[in-house]
Amino acid sequence: MDATFSRLTMTGASAMLLLALVVMWRHHVPAYVTAFRMQSVALAFVGAVVAWLGDVPELFLVAALILGLKGWIVPRILAGMEARRPGERELHPLVNTEMSLLISGGLAVAAYEISRPLAAVVSLPTRGGLPIALALILVSLFIVVSRRRVIAQIVGFLMLENGIALLALLGAYGVPLVVELGVFLDVLLGVLVMQALVPGIEEISAG
Amino acid sequence: MTVIVLAVTQCLFLMIAAPALVGYVRWLKARLQGRRGAGMFQPYRDLRKTLAKGMVIADTASWIFHMAPCVVVASTVAAAALVPVISANQAGDQLGDLFALMALLILGTIFLALGGLDPGTAFGGMGSSREMTVAALTEPTLAIAILSLALTAGSTSLGTITNTLLTTPSNAIGPGHALAFAAFLIAMLAETGRLPVDNPATHLELTMIHEAMILEYSGPYLALLEWAAALKLTLLLTLAANLFVPWGMATSDGAGALAVGLAAVLAKIAVLATLLAVLETRVAKLRLFRVPELLAMSFTLALLAATSSFFTR
Repeated sequence: MDATFSRLTMTGASAMLLLALVVMWRHHVPAYVTAFRMQSVALAFVGAVVAWLGDVPELFLVAALILGLKGWIVPRILAGMEARRPGERELHPLVNTEMSLLISGGLAVAAYEISRPLAAVVSLPTRGGLPIALALILVSLFIVVSRRRVIAQIVGFLMLENGIALLALLGAYGVPLVVELGVFLDVLLGVLVMQALVPGIEEISAG
Repeated sequence: MTVIVLAVTQCLFLMIAAPALVGYVRWLKARLQGRRGAGMFQPYRDLRKTLAKGMVIADTASWIFHMAPCVVVASTVAAAALVPVISANQAGDQLGDLFALMALLILGTIFLALGGLDPGTAFGGMGSSREMTVAALTEPTLAIAILSLALTAGSTSLGTITNTLLTTPSNAIGPGHALAFAAFLIAMLAETGRLPVDNPATHLELTMIHEAMILEYSGPYLALLEWAAALKLTLLLTLAANLFVPWGMATSDGAGALAVGLAAVLAKIAVLATLLAVLETRVAKLRLFRVPELLAMSFTLALLAATSSFFTR
């Protein structure tokens, strides 16, 4: 039982980390958005697994909200922003692809090393995924700092948010529902505000 | 005594089956592309024909040019002797472990590159430089991917790794195993010069890596190099099949178990070769400057696999 639980959450968490790595390897914003959408689906999967096997029924609601908001609405807004943008589509990150991938690998190793004491304290069956969640946070942060275009940075930021949500799910079976709902509203509001601001920011940075 | 006979038989099996495997992949690719294609055993006829021909050797070639084919063949055969094929009780374990295997493979690669450089032609040098660019990332990836299995098994000898996986199949479930398998397959494609890294079917100068290095070779030398390349492909496919999916391998020396092991390994290699042919029909060759990105991806996957098996032991 515990072994299945641990393995399912580990698989979901690893899929999320892999999708963050996919961003390093792709060169176009639609691929970034697809990676984020699939990552959110994987997060919803982890949420549902924790709700089911960890016996926290309210997390089913959270998983459904993740699926609806981050798996559908936010990616749609992002895709719409990119579709309206004129001009060149290919991204030219500040750090080239090979270096990005190798740095991400290094960050993942560092995350494993850092989270050792953390995993020793937590006794939940999900603790095996904690280093992966931490690695996801570090890699997303790297995406934010190494991308040039604002929309790619937003995707990185949303992935960072996913990583924090994953850490909360695996380390403490989620935060109270009220806090969770507040975070969802924040994410939605943040993306809507970004949608209004990004064209202006890009104009200034281009000009 | 039986152990030694078995080890020699396994090595011979790989050496003899190698051209047939290449022939099978070529035939299947031809069928998938709507051509009739030469039969599975065509590479044997090609090898016989090439062996019987005379050699044309450049005036500028030194002794390295003559030595390279022998070293390539010898190192590949020695590497093949270390691979568990039919039985998990591998006598080759006493000769060397995964580090010896990787060292032998890189020795062959280096001498192939030297042989390409030696006559001083432009194509050979270009091929060698490309091969070194690719090998610098693939060899560590292969080693780290196998190392992640070795960390779980607690031993670096290939026979023990397969044996541990056979006795505790639950080791195979989880992210580490899948990541290592994916990394190994990508690195294997690059290492054996298959699509999307190199195109084994053309001699077009813009795309070639392996073919550019052996362009100056002819006659028996060419036959040796082609056969060594086929053997390398076969041994890496066998390694992928037996290290990551060892089920069906013989664990005892009984005739029945060995027969089952032989059938299992043939079936697994056939599945992998079919996948290889389908993949090569479906994907296009990557631009040369995107190849390091693919290899960096596979290296990162291998690194993650090794990290996760190191920390979740």
